[in-house]
Amino acid sequence: MASSNWEKWRLPADPSPADLARAAAGERQAFRMIVERYQHMVYSVAYNVLGNHADAEDAAQDAFLRCYRSLPQYRSEASFSTWLFRLALTAAIDAQRRERRRPEPVDVPEVAGEAAALAPGIDAATIARALADLPEDYRTPTVLRDVYGLPYHEIAELTGRPLGTVKVMVHRGRAALRLRLRAEREA
Amino acid sequence: MDCSGVRALMNRYIDGELGYLETAEFQRHLAFCPDCSLEFRELSALRGTLAAWGDVPLAPPAGFANRVMTAVATEPLPGSPRPLADVVSDVLEWLDQSLGRVRLPGGRTMPVKNLLGWAIALVAVVIGFGRRRGQDQAKTRVSRAAGAARR
Ligand SMILES: [Zn+2]
Repeated sequence: MASSNWEKWRLPADPSPADLARAAAGERQAFRMIVERYQHMVYSVAYNVLGNHADAEDAAQDAFLRCYRSLPQYRSEASFSTWLFRLALTAAIDAQRRERRRPEPVDVPEVAGEAAALAPGIDAATIARALADLPEDYRTPTVLRDVYGLPYHEIAELTGRPLGTVKVMVHRGRAALRLRLRAEREA
Repeated sequence: MDCSGVRALMNRYIDGELGYLETAEFQRHLAFCPDCSLEFRELSALRGTLAAWGDVPLAPPAGFANRVMTAVATEPLPGSPRPLADVVSDVLEWLDQSLGRVRLPGGRTMPVKNLLGWAIALVAVVIGFGRRRGQDQAKTRVSRAAGAARR
């Protein structure tokens, strides 16, 4: 996970060991600080894996509950944000396995802060819609590989799929997205 | 290497999975083939766009943090042993996910874990019945023996 794209993200600084200890001891106010600081990161991961708001919110909440429960197990070898990112990913992937997906018209997430164009002719709404429209089998591995930069073997581990299958899914996801973005640019 | 060969390698090239010779052949083809080179540029641009998307923080729905904190309020303190009911329901959910469902006649489906439950109950009943019969037979044998002794 060391070279993942998301680490470049202007992630909030890790909570101080004292704050973490207070949260781990069950102090609600200390935990609220963590939720408020990391809600964008956790929600973004859930939305990108699941592709809709309702499931993303459930999974993001689940990730924070897992975080709360396992705070005493958190060791500071990994940065807190790395640890929480991993919890958010597994919560989102578990939510997808439960097949709780509620169909809804793709509604574009609200970008926190200024919405910059991601590429010429491609804005945030376009990419969000293109990803959400991908078949689920393609979306999750493609998001993990190209949005978050995870190596294939980790994606296989996280999704419980064979390595070869994961690669094929990513290749297909890329192909579908490439054609979609070409069509968007030409539109 | 022809166009279809090059396209088959494109993803592996992007992922850095090609060996030295394949890489050289791939690059040589791209240098003179406008079609493949366009596809390659689009694919590379796509990866850049997706990586940039990963840096875009998305806003959770309004009131999200409050809802999380409401859920947290019903949780036991971190690290305390989990209530047995939660553990049982987690195990059942895990069984549900890993076993899936079976199709019943009439197009309906039933979780495999339910079938397992019925099977376990049936086995328990059969064992119970068998033991009872065994005890009854033993009693009969004892009373027969007693009768024979009396004669
Ligand atoms: Zn070519």
